[in-house]
Amino acid sequence: MSTRPVTITDQAVTGADPAVQVASRVEDVVVGDEIVRYRYSTRVTHWSVAFFFIVCLLTGMPIWTPVFGWMAHLFGGLHVCRWLHPWAGLAFFASSLVMIAQWWRKMILEKSERSWVGPRLFQYMRYEDHDQNVGKFNGGQKLFFWAAAVGALGLLVSGVVLWFPPQFQQWVRETAILLHDVTFIGFAVAIVFHIYLGTAAEPGTFRAMTRGTVTKPWARLHHPRWYREVTRDNSRPR
Amino acid sequence: MKQANLEIRRSSASLIGESTSQRRKAVVAKFIDTTTCIGCKACEVACQEWNDLPTLDTARFGTYQTMPTLHAEYWNLIKFAEVEGAAGLTWLMRKDNCMHCDEPGCLEACPAPGAIVQYENGIVDVNPEACIGCGYCETGCPFDVPRFSERTSKMSKCTLCVDRVTVGVEPACVKACPTGCLHFGNKDDMLALGARRIEQLHENGHTEAAMYDPPGVGGTSVVTVLMHGDHPEWYGLPKDPHVPHAVIAWKKLLRPLGTVAIFAAVAGAFAHYLRYGRKQAPEESDQRRNEP
Repeated sequence: MSTRPVTITDQAVTGADPAVQVASRVEDVVVGDEIVRYRYSTRVTHWSVAFFFIVCLLTGMPIWTPVFGWMAHLFGGLHVCRWLHPWAGLAFFASSLVMIAQWWRKMILEKSERSWVGPRLFQYMRYEDHDQNVGKFNGGQKLFFWAAAVGALGLLVSGVVLWFPPQFQQWVRETAILLHDVTFIGFAVAIVFHIYLGTAAEPGTFRAMTRGTVTKPWARLHHPRWYREVTRDNSRPR
Repeated sequence: MKQANLEIRRSSASLIGESTSQRRKAVVAKFIDTTTCIGCKACEVACQEWNDLPTLDTARFGTYQTMPTLHAEYWNLIKFAEVEGAAGLTWLMRKDNCMHCDEPGCLEACPAPGAIVQYENGIVDVNPEACIGCGYCETGCPFDVPRFSERTSKMSKCTLCVDRVTVGVEPACVKACPTGCLHFGNKDDMLALGARRIEQLHENGHTEAAMYDPPGVGGTSVVTVLMHGDHPEWYGLPKDPHVPHAVIAWKKLLRPLGTVAIFAAVAGAFAHYLRYGRKQAPEESDQRRNEP
C-alpha cells in the first residue's frame, strides 16, 4: 500500500467523490457510510484478468466446437481467433500472476474453512450459512481463487504445447488437448457462478469491482469479521 | 491443394449434414508394391513437378533418402531402411505419403469447419482457405503425415492428385513409376491386385508377405504390399494405427459433455435465482426503497 497520503478535496468545490478518492490508494477503511473493499490497483488487476479471460473464452470456444462458431465473427473469423487466442492467453496468465501476488496471503484457507470443500458450499448457496467469523474473503472465494490459480497454470502449460504442436512429442500433445479441455470446462462452469454471485444473486457486490466500495450493511452480512475489523464495531448484528 | 468439385462424404468440425453426395462414388486407392520398388524416386520428382512444389535442399544423413521426413512442400518421400532380420540384413524402401484413411484422424482432430474434407471417393483433402494452421491434424494423424507450412501458415499434404483423379487420370506418382510398383484404380481392384501379388510372393517363399490396409482407421486409400507383412514397423508404418484416444475423447466425450455443462451452469444459476432469490441485508433493501 502506498505511503503517500490520499488527498481528499472538498466535493462541493472540486466535484470529486471522497470515497473514490480514498479507494484510489487504500482499502479496508471506512469512508462515510461506505467501506473501501478493493483499491484502484486491485480493481485494475481483476479487470485485466477478466478482460483477457473473456477474450480467451470468445476466441477459444469457436475453436473448441462449432456450436460456438458464431463467437469467431466478433474477431473477424477463426483465423484471427487462432492467432489471438494464445497471446490473449499469455496476457491472462500474466495478469493472473499479478492477481495471485496481490491476494495469495489473504486467500490462505483457515482451518475452520476446510468444510467449504464439502457441504458448506451448498449451505452457503442456500443462504443458510450464518457464520459470524467470515473475514474479507469467505471459504468459497478462497477455494475459487486457488482453483483459478491452478487452472491458469494448467491452461498455460497445455496452451503452450497446443500453440506449437510440432515442437512436442505425440503423447505430450495428446495430454495437452485433454488438460486444456478439462481445465477450460471447469473454469467456464465456475466463472458462470462467480459472475452470477457477484451480480444478480448478491446485490451490492459488483460495485466493489467498479466503485471499489461496499455499504456497511453489505459488509456486515457477507463478511462480518472483516466488517468488525475494519469498523472496530463489535456489536452483534440485530 | 484445391478443393476439387467433388461430392463430400465427411468434413471437419461439422456437427451434422456433412455429406453432400447424392450419387455413390466408388472408393479409389493407390496400390504400392514395396517388393518391386527400386528407390528411383521418379514418384518424388513427379509429385514436385505436377503440384508445382519447389526444389528443396536434400539432406545427407547416411542413407539414399532425400530428406529425413515429409515436408510441407514435399508430400512424397521414399523411405529407406536397413533392418537386421532373421535372414540377415534387408534393405527396405517404402513410399511415404498421406494414407487417405477411411476414418481420417486429421479430419477428426481439425477444429476449422471444412478445412479437411473427405470426398465420396475416399480422398482426404485440405481446403487451405478454411485451414487456420493450428496443427491439430498433426496430432490426429497416426501416420505423421500433415505438415505445417511456414510460408502459408497452413497445413499441407498429399492430395492423391485429386485434380488429376477428378478428370480421370492417375496420380502423378503412379504415372511416373517405371517398375509398375504403383497402380491406381478402384479400391476393390487394387485389393484384388494386391491379393494376386501376395499369392505370388507366398509361392516364392516369402510367406510373411501381406497387405497393409489397417482396419484401425477403417482401411486406407493407399494399400501397400509389404514383403515383411508381419513387421510393418520395419518400414516405418505403425502396427495398429488408430485415431488417437485423446482426439476421440475430446471430440466425442469432452466436447458434448462440456457444452452441456456450460449451458447447465447458466441454467443452474438462473434456477438458483428463481428458487433462492437475492442475498441481501434488510437495511440494504430499506435503503434501496428509500432511494429517490
